[in-house]
Amino acid sequence: MIRFDEVSQRYPGGHEALKQVSFELERGEMAFLTGRSGAGKSTLLKCIMRTESLSQGQILVSGRNIQRISDKQIPFYRRRIGVVFQDHQLLYDRSVYENVALPLRIDGYREADAARRVRAALDKVGLLSKEKMNPIALSGGEQQRVGIARAVVNRPQILLADEPTGNLDPELAADIMKLFEQFNQIGVSMLIASHDLALITRLRHRMLTLDNGRLIRDEQHPSRQGAGSS
Amino acid sequence: MKASRTRKSAPSRAASGKLRVSPGEWLRQHWLCAKDALQRLFSQPVNTFMTLMVIGVALLLPALLYVLGSNLAQFGNRLTETGQITAYFHDATSDADHLSLVNSLQTDDRINVVNYISTEQAMRDFADWSGLGDVMSNLEENPLPASLDIHLPASGLTDINALAEELSANELIDLVQVDEQWLIRLEQILMLGDRIVLVLVAVLAMAVLFIVGNSIRTIIANRSDEIQVMNLIGATRQYMARPFLWLGLCYGFLGGVIAWILLALMLLFIHEPASALLGFYGSEYQLIGLGWQASLSLLLGSALLGWLGARISVSRHLTKS
Ligand SMILES: Nc1ncnc2c1ncn2[C@@H]1O[C@H](COP(=O)(O)OP(=O)(O)OP(=O)(O)O)[C@@H](O)[C@H]1O
Ligand SMILES: [Mg+2]
Repeated sequence: MIRFDEVSQRYPGGHEALKQVSFELERGEMAFLTGRSGAGKSTLLKCIMRTESLSQGQILVSGRNIQRISDKQIPFYRRRIGVVFQDHQLLYDRSVYENVALPLRIDGYREADAARRVRAALDKVGLLSKEKMNPIALSGGEQQRVGIARAVVNRPQILLADEPTGNLDPELAADIMKLFEQFNQIGVSMLIASHDLALITRLRHRMLTLDNGRLIRDEQHPSRQGAGSS
Repeated sequence: MKASRTRKSAPSRAASGKLRVSPGEWLRQHWLCAKDALQRLFSQPVNTFMTLMVIGVALLLPALLYVLGSNLAQFGNRLTETGQITAYFHDATSDADHLSLVNSLQTDDRINVVNYISTEQAMRDFADWSGLGDVMSNLEENPLPASLDIHLPASGLTDINALAEELSANELIDLVQVDEQWLIRLEQILMLGDRIVLVLVAVLAMAVLFIVGNSIRTIIANRSDEIQVMNLIGATRQYMARPFLWLGLCYGFLGGVIAWILLALMLLFIHEPASALLGFYGSEYQLIGLGWQASLSLLLGSALLGWLGARISVSRHLTKS
């Protein structure tokens, strides 16, 4: 589904945030991306979204080299990927419903179809009763769930999440992860960046560890892994 | 992936990447955008009002000059309609000779109207006009010559010099005066006025572009979060630009409406004295307003300017993927 071939990325300032990263995420697979702050997790996700371009190597998504996608086609490529951000990135000038409906509006859905999908997504994250509220009036965990509903409302085949549990308490964080696992069970491929080792080692998924831009570990069975990464 | 695509009931992204949206849906989206733009404008009434006032005043100036020009042009039209020659007879000519010339001129195609003013008529007119009737009647001899007042149609103005020469050559005629000279001058003044309006329109159009562009730039900056999110979830540039273009259009159009209202108020304010002044020159002259065609041009033009300003701003400030 997502394949990195010797991918390097250098920011305009000259900092090399990714160094020859190679891995492949299978269709329907769920994996965590971890590493200390500044290791390059966000950068790796940005490269998949193609908001950052590569200095070397290539990324294939569904077998397609994404560097070759023209600027005009990029929006249509991005619509196939759902993204969840640490800081939700909700729009506070509109209701929860409108926030979740955003990807559908962009995609030109008819109102009736959009309404059905938005309600289904909100139901999934347990916020159907709050659709008319402004997201500012919701708790952090609820806002994060609105962000997840928005990411999945278009039924993407790939879901990327950058620190989705960053500032949630452990219980809420575990709930969010459970939600992700449910999406994964219906076939969505997932890559979740998180440095919450305590939480993700409890979940039995593949774990990719970045250190200073290098992929230093790629383990299928996190339960076997000890705590001390370099 | 195929399976999920067939499951979609809505217009989907085709392989070509083109959205297949029905015209009705497309219209509805634009309507939502326009409504949203207006709502945003009125959610910050003070800011919006100030911007609109600036745009309105910028548009008012050329509109005002245009109205001034069209009022002056009334005189231009009148004078062009009646190009005029005055021919004075020699003192030593008889009324009979005068009348035969009048008769021959009346058959001349180039001439609209010939008025004969005999020496007695001239005396009466002068006495009336000057109020010196008593003094004049005491004169032994009438010092005023008989004259011809010849009006040419507008289309015949090119003949005016030839006709004047013919008349001077006539031995009955002493002096010929052509009023064409200052006709041309008024025409030239009006033409200059037109040019000045054009230059002003160009300069102030630039100003409107700049004002709208700058306002849109600020709004884009204020909404950078939203734009970033939109960009990440796959909005096309056109989709992201749409609300700003509508906003620019609304700015321009409402600015035009304000200019129109200001102009109407001004005309209302000067209506009485201006009508009195114009009435002094003749009952056919009256204060002319903008007229519906010019009003429509003002509103459409300003809306277009607003849209263009927004477009320039969007192309410069909306982030690239
Ligand atoms: N826009 C940028 N320009 C230049 N350097 C950048 C930019 N964004 C990130 N970096 C640098 O790239 C490196 C990797 O950043 P990245 O945000 O990918 O880290 P991260 O693993 O997500 O960290 P965190 O856990 O703190 O979010 C960091 O050293 C950072 O300073
Ligand atoms: Mg990060």
